[in-house]
Amino acid sequence: MSTSTLTRPVPPVAPPKRRRRNTGPNGGGRDAWLLVLPALIPVVLFSVYPLMQGILLGFTDSKAGLNAVVSFNGLENYARLAGNELFWNSFRIGLVWAFGVTALQFLASLGLALLLNLDLKFRGVARTLALVPWAMPPVVIAIMWRLMLNPSYGPINEAMRTVGFPGDINWLGSFSTALPAVIVVGVWAGMPQTTITLLAGLQNVPAELHEAAAIDGAGVLHRFWHVTLPALRPIIVAITTLDLIWNFNSFALVFVLTAGGPGGQTMLPMLFAYNEAFRYGEFGYAAAMGNVMVIVISVFLFLYLRGQARSRLS
Amino acid sequence: MKRRAALAAGALAVAGVLTGCAFGGGGGTSSSQEPSAEGPVTLTFQSLAFQDTTIAATKEIVDSWNKDHPDITVKLQQGSWDNVHDQLVTQFQGGTAPDIIHDESADIAGFANQGYLADLKPYLSDDVVNAVSKDVWSTVTAQDGSVVAAPTLMQTYVVFANTDAFAAAGVPLPDGKELSWDDFQALAKKLTADGKYGIGWGLKSPTATVMNLALGFGGTFFDNNGGSSTIHVGDAELEVPKRINEMTYSDKSIDPVSLTQSGSDVLPGFFDGSYAMYVGGNYVAQQLTESAPKGFHWAVLPPLAGSEGTMQAANPQTMSVAAESKHVKQAAEFIDYFMNPTNQAKLAEGDWLIPASAPAREQVAKDTEGKNGWSAMLASGESLTAAPFQSAANYPQWKDQYATPSLQKFLANNISADDLKKQLTDGWAAVGG
Repeated sequence: MSTSTLTRPVPPVAPPKRRRRNTGPNGGGRDAWLLVLPALIPVVLFSVYPLMQGILLGFTDSKAGLNAVVSFNGLENYARLAGNELFWNSFRIGLVWAFGVTALQFLASLGLALLLNLDLKFRGVARTLALVPWAMPPVVIAIMWRLMLNPSYGPINEAMRTVGFPGDINWLGSFSTALPAVIVVGVWAGMPQTTITLLAGLQNVPAELHEAAAIDGAGVLHRFWHVTLPALRPIIVAITTLDLIWNFNSFALVFVLTAGGPGGQTMLPMLFAYNEAFRYGEFGYAAAMGNVMVIVISVFLFLYLRGQARSRLS
Repeated sequence: MKRRAALAAGALAVAGVLTGCAFGGGGGTSSSQEPSAEGPVTLTFQSLAFQDTTIAATKEIVDSWNKDHPDITVKLQQGSWDNVHDQLVTQFQGGTAPDIIHDESADIAGFANQGYLADLKPYLSDDVVNAVSKDVWSTVTAQDGSVVAAPTLMQTYVVFANTDAFAAAGVPLPDGKELSWDDFQALAKKLTADGKYGIGWGLKSPTATVMNLALGFGGTFFDNNGGSSTIHVGDAELEVPKRINEMTYSDKSIDPVSLTQSGSDVLPGFFDGSYAMYVGGNYVAQQLTESAPKGFHWAVLPPLAGSEGTMQAANPQTMSVAAESKHVKQAAEFIDYFMNPTNQAKLAEGDWLIPASAPAREQVAKDTEGKNGWSAMLASGESLTAAPFQSAANYPQWKDQYATPSLQKFLANNISADDLKKQLTDGWAAVGG
């Protein structure tokens, strides 16, 4: 998907030239391999190796214990996992969280990006301010929001009281509001990168198209729908895909905000797997949960990207 | 100019780190006066002390040990109660655990079963062994009979009272040897008025509190027979959560919001008079003396008593040695020193906790003259017993995954007592209890 967007503007002569150079009679391809090697070593050492280790761990009975013997147990972990109601419940919560945060994040960021794209006064300041949440580590964001949402002293309840709403909502403590409140914090924390990406995309929408559409009598909404959105589509696909992965895998924010409580209402699958490994010492079982999460997310992404590719072709 | 100074400071810092690294491992090779047979050793000791007074007391003990023992240097590390379990799991697995480990008995049972903790029995002196009751020793004894830790300080759940609020409401402070739950409930009702609640109770993690206080009604939850445990949840076990639920939703004398918060989140409400009483661990007394606003007067009420008495579980803080430590003997010697009554009394007074060692308790009573609630707290320490839940193998997982969520639901009035009973029992089966 991203390759198609990248190659489109390249002049048609360039690719054959490059290909010829790579497969030239001097064995340039092999030399290039040598040049890439120093960069590859850290990738293999620090990414590929731990990743493989993690995947393999999901097929063992690794457990905490002095001199514990680890042996492969095939699909036993997965059979056990299939019957683990708590895990699937947390999986459901994880999907609500990931899709909820991604969708709301996209809508809010698109609005903000359109706003920041206008020729406003203090546009530079506003654009910088929009980046602020990005500059904060998730743990700090979570602590800050925990103070904001404090039921007795938090400014949010205080503000609601002053405008006459009931100001005694126990945001993170009551069963019905905990997950929505956490989702709102997730949206806030993740907005900057989505906004900036969409803003960059908006600046690449050719002004001539807008002009032409305006001359043809298209209103603001029509131009947005028929000019801006189609031009933005590759960017939208890329950023929502990435957001979905990031959000599903986010950990620190919710860990600090609620640690999965109350009553397991915000127990995301990541938190669940973390507890399994680092509280109960079931490393193999926890790695199996990680593998399942990777597979499920891959399936969602595959379906989503295929759908996008089809609609682009049609 | 400024920049050059900064650079020089940076260079100095780097040099400091480098020399620190170079000499840290050797344990002061140059200054060893009487090297033992194995040569000088350095031990790491991870302390979880978090109140300033206890951190200072711990440092003092370590410093005096290092002065007397040039060949066994103890290096103090700071850990945190919040994540000590996760940290130890990782460190044990990676072989990087500190030599001397500070934790609590309910948390180390699993590590003991996994073989990560050394047996201290051969190293502890008779004085240390005899100072602590058999019941408390049983909380740090593994299934195979090895002693995996030395018990240091114990906490009980006590009721703190804002004495000014009592005076304003014209309610006399209860005295006597114990405070029955019925009286406690009536007291809370009397102190609830004008949008203020009788009690603020931080019960975000309710399981430990319930397990402890249930003993007063004879609620033991588990039967342990040789490695495996069975659960039983009956009227005695459910009495405490039922009463808390009743006080919150029928009497309306407990602030329901406080039930979803941690103890430290509730403390400001106790300070500003929103709650006349506050239930928490007795270590909170240190925070009261440190951070209460001027003119805030408080007292510790007599220990809460159920139908069976004031029993609570002895869940002492512990000092263990990692089995993989290269110097188990020296580490155990330090623990033996750490356990002497003077040191234990110093720590107990810093943390407002009850020493497991009887001579240290006497020392504390003498030092404090029983003031500031100390007599009530030391009294509550006398009825601490070993509780079955401490030896139930899958207790930590059951607590996280089933007991805490269902108790939270029950205390939020979302499920009935029958549902609670069912979830607790089914949960134990699900974790393979």
